[in-house]
Amino acid sequence: MAIDLLSYICIGIGIFFWFWGTFPLLGKRSLLFKLHGLSVADTLGSMSIIIGLLLQRPNESPLLILAIISLAIWNTVLGYVLAYCSTSGGSNDG
Amino acid sequence: MNLVLIAMILALLIPFYVACRDENIWQTMLAFASIATKTSVMILVVSVLRDDWWIGVVGVIILSVGNASLMLLAQVIKRMSDVLNG
Repeated sequence: MAIDLLSYICIGIGIFFWFWGTFPLLGKRSLLFKLHGLSVADTLGSMSIIIGLLLQRPNESPLLILAIISLAIWNTVLGYVLAYCSTSGGSNDG
Repeated sequence: MNLVLIAMILALLIPFYVACRDENIWQTMLAFASIATKTSVMILVVSVLRDDWWIGVVGVIILSVGNASLMLLAQVIKRMSDVLNG
């Protein structure tokens, strides 16, 4: 019962993070501000949701742990690559 | 758990709206990256709800391959704009 409650709290925190990071997309701020908020909120929120799912069904743990690792690595790298590509740089080509 | 899925779909509508607005290409890429992550996590939630491993495998594959292909696409767009601008 306590584990159920904990998992729902994790999922709720994740969904709150999703909304918090996605709403600035509608505003008029700079692209890098939106990218930062979105990558932080998407990564942390999705990891929190998956941890909540992991608490509910521990027998699917290999798949869910793989999803957490893939989120942690790919989303950070994607944020970096998007920031690098969107700034029309001069001599920082590599 | 159905409420969780409904909240996720509501969160997914925001990047869809941003992607439909015709603005800066990087804004659209940002929205697509967000859509890719959110849909794959939704697929994982559905797989746990239905207790079905194979749907979850699809979600994890989208999570890794989708993000990798978005990175490649960003590089291609940058090179194309470099070439077009001279």
